[in-house]
Amino acid sequence: MKKLIASVAASVALVIFASIGSNARASGAEIHLDHWPEARAHDLAALQNGARLFANYCLNCHSANLMRWNRLQDIGLDERQIKDFLIFGNQKVGDLMTVSLRPRDAKAWFGKAPPDLSVITRARTSFEYKGTDYLYTLLRGYYRDASSPTGWNNVAYPSIAMPHILWERQGPRELTIERVLHVEDEKTKTSSSVRQLSVFDDAGNATVTRTPLKGHFDESTEVSFKPADTAAARQFDADVADLVAYLNFMTDPSGATRVRIGVWVLVFLSFFTVLAWWLNRTYWKDIK
Amino acid sequence: MGLHKTEYKGLLGWFDARMPTLMSEYKKHLAEYYAPKNLNFWYIFGGLAITALVMQIATGIFLTMNYKPDAASAFASVEYIMREVQGGWFIRYMHSTGASFFFIVVYLHMFRGLLYGSYRKPRELVWIFGCLIFLSLMGEAFFGYLLPWGQMSYWGAQVIVNLFGAIPVIGPDLAVLIRGDYVIGDATLNRFFAFHVIAIPLVLLGLVVAHILALHDVGSNNPDGMEIKDTLDPKTGRPLDGIPFHPYYTVHDIYWLSLFLIAFFAVLFLAPEMGGYFLEWNNFIPADPFQGPLHIAPVWYFTPYYSILRATTEYFMWVLAAFTVAYALLVFLSLKNSAARIATLGIALILVVFMVVPGLKLDPKFWGVVLMGVSVLIFFGLPWLDQSPARSIRYRPGWHFWCLIAFVVIFLVLGYFGTQPPEDTRNLMSQVLTFLYLAFFLLMPWWSRMGEFKPVPARVTFAAH
Amino acid sequence: MRRFGLVWLTYRSARTTRPYTVKSRAARGLRPLFPSSFAKNPMSMTESNDAVDDSRRAALLMTGVVGGAGCVAAAVPFVASLTPSERAKAAGAPVVADLSQLALGEKMTVEWRGKPVWVLRRTPEMLASLKKTEGEVADPASKRTAFPTPAYAMNEYRSIKPEYFIAIGICSHLGCNPLGPLAAGAAAPLGNDPGFLCPCHGSTFDVAGRVFKNKPAPDNLEVPPHKYLSDTVVLIGDDSKA
Repeated sequence: MKKLIASVAASVALVIFASIGSNARASGAEIHLDHWPEARAHDLAALQNGARLFANYCLNCHSANLMRWNRLQDIGLDERQIKDFLIFGNQKVGDLMTVSLRPRDAKAWFGKAPPDLSVITRARTSFEYKGTDYLYTLLRGYYRDASSPTGWNNVAYPSIAMPHILWERQGPRELTIERVLHVEDEKTKTSSSVRQLSVFDDAGNATVTRTPLKGHFDESTEVSFKPADTAAARQFDADVADLVAYLNFMTDPSGATRVRIGVWVLVFLSFFTVLAWWLNRTYWKDIK
Repeated sequence: MGLHKTEYKGLLGWFDARMPTLMSEYKKHLAEYYAPKNLNFWYIFGGLAITALVMQIATGIFLTMNYKPDAASAFASVEYIMREVQGGWFIRYMHSTGASFFFIVVYLHMFRGLLYGSYRKPRELVWIFGCLIFLSLMGEAFFGYLLPWGQMSYWGAQVIVNLFGAIPVIGPDLAVLIRGDYVIGDATLNRFFAFHVIAIPLVLLGLVVAHILALHDVGSNNPDGMEIKDTLDPKTGRPLDGIPFHPYYTVHDIYWLSLFLIAFFAVLFLAPEMGGYFLEWNNFIPADPFQGPLHIAPVWYFTPYYSILRATTEYFMWVLAAFTVAYALLVFLSLKNSAARIATLGIALILVVFMVVPGLKLDPKFWGVVLMGVSVLIFFGLPWLDQSPARSIRYRPGWHFWCLIAFVVIFLVLGYFGTQPPEDTRNLMSQVLTFLYLAFFLLMPWWSRMGEFKPVPARVTFAAH
Repeated sequence: MRRFGLVWLTYRSARTTRPYTVKSRAARGLRPLFPSSFAKNPMSMTESNDAVDDSRRAALLMTGVVGGAGCVAAAVPFVASLTPSERAKAAGAPVVADLSQLALGEKMTVEWRGKPVWVLRRTPEMLASLKKTEGEVADPASKRTAFPTPAYAMNEYRSIKPEYFIAIGICSHLGCNPLGPLAAGAAAPLGNDPGFLCPCHGSTFDVAGRVFKNKPAPDNLEVPPHKYLSDTVVLIGDDSKA
């Protein structure tokens, strides 16, 4: 009887794992996200560079209404530096990072209001991927696409309404998207695998070729970029990593303090637990 | 002169002469409350639940000092607490982590009841108050979740209120009454705030007091299931296997509280979002009434019931109808009273008609709500469903233990499925598991009596520490 | 008497048929629930067993002290949350006032920390009146400490520059806003001196904010911390040297 139940339990477990698997695999259209270098999260120089990029490039369409300028003291800047180098308008260092673009106007002009970025890395996280990885891929994933209204498209967010703000820093690149698709033959109603290669040159013109594949393959997407200037591209990657590090800090400014205090709290509690265990023993040793 | 005689001196004596209730209750519930000496690990969760309640109330009070229950400023006020109020992030994380830990503790507390038959006579009332606490806690969590006014808050509330809208005839009007508006909005937020901050906490406190008083009036159960009051010391009249709650269980609880706090603060300081289960990622997007998130799921502690709700599809109704008929027959054959027999058949007929008869049948949406409700409310019935001759799992046939483990696994798997987007294989599995979940309870009057039971000893099994 | 009438039944239910003293459970043949002998249970803390008591006491003391320290530490963020938040501190930040457009005898008001701060450009007559009011005010040297006067305002003019008088426009009595500057003879309570008159309870102040004798207000008008960034620009709320 126990064996029967054990085997039923085992088969239930197997089916569960199988169904887990079916969900974790990215769907055919989704790419694998690049991994954001996490070490930068604690590098003050990187965070300051990111803050500078943020103030220069992002903080005109995007607001950060929940973040105060003087909180940047947490990443090693003083009030003088914040006021002189980061605040462009007549905001005071104690003000919130608001912008003058009204969401109503933005929606009318761009089709979609640029979201507030105060908590963006948490907002863009899901059970499948981290917000930092997503943003790191997104900001580096633009390519020229002559068929899009802005002239730009993005491998992480197809048909994105935001143009490539940082294009001058990245420089021109060529993109190759290799996809394995399932196509259904209308006459025979059979499904077969096809390899589709799309090459976007740096002017946005696409060349698409399709070759049928022998055998049945899962749907997948692979992208690869070829920058014209690899050194500039590498520098750009570093800058975007810094920018994402800053966005990560801005989402959770108390993060570093929290972990630091936490370690001490756990040390204290471990010590207290030993005392509490001793106290418990002094009473319970009488109970026979 | 009206003063009471007192054995105490000093300030305590002055107080005791005028309000002896303080010391008499202290003795009755702590210093002279004789609890069994063999209480094990599973008995820590009641005390931890009280701790969780106190923590939630304390942090809740401080959050209310800075939170704004207004649709336009709620989201920003929560971030204000996190960033700008001194120590605000700690208070917020304590409240969010505390909510999840409260449910973990309560589920484990209920599991102890299943293990040792704590709900059996004469403790049915303790169990009923406990189930009412559980229902109130679910309500409290639901109302509280709307307050941050994120995407999950808004759309979760939308879905749950629409569940009430699924009730036939009165549903849509009831939904408007709950919301205070035609859609979830500012009116809803304000009233949910009132419920969360004052109404339900008062109810919870009252129920917790009733729960503990009901327990103390009959005395605690223990892992061996026998009544310690059956064996008294002839000289003192106290249970031979009993020890005063204070100081023995107070120091015992302090030790386990310390361990619990290590786990609690480890999560709070090192991983407060807990991978998106304690603080959901979608809730960092301000509520948008025009565009829901891609993937709505309730918070983890509601997911098992959510799975059951989702599993109820039109085809499943036929399966349920078939099992309703089968169950009615089983009950019919087991009853002797002809009135009860007729009632059984009558109820079954009515249910089946409303389940599957074209023209009269109610939407699977409604039946999903019913099944979900039944899956929670069926806990109330345990004292009467469990007909086992032995209270504690220790003296029941070995396979009863595996049935209990199977139930736990079913609960956890249903919970996991509830966090995932809808998908055919999972839906089918959820239906099977829903059926097994209900069968565990509904067939309990029969299976709990089957098998070889071991003799229950007169004295507790205890190994000196 | 009808034995089953409503009146009789009510009367019967109001009367107790049991004796006034209830028999104890023992006398009724029941086992006690919580007999008073439990007060002396053999395993209580008062039982004499010195070795056990000593170890219990030591453990209790150590755990109590460390636990108490932990509780105090845990209370810190809660108490801290009551102190001004970053938003409150930012709103309390210093304010710049531009005095270049201020005419002689005119008063301008700027907001700092939610309070009105006056800048009065005093005329030569107003300055001259200060010598006269020296004997008529309650605290001519601003010695009182309820609202301490900054060191740079501890002079006959109660300001850094004699021409500009800077003070918080809140009466030190119960918080109304005094009217003014009123010319000499403009209001009866002020008499022949220019100054300020509080309409609520009649306290009067001279043009250096000093309260006259025998008035409800106990203190001179408060001078906020301030410093001049240039001849006509003053920063109110900050008087640091940096």
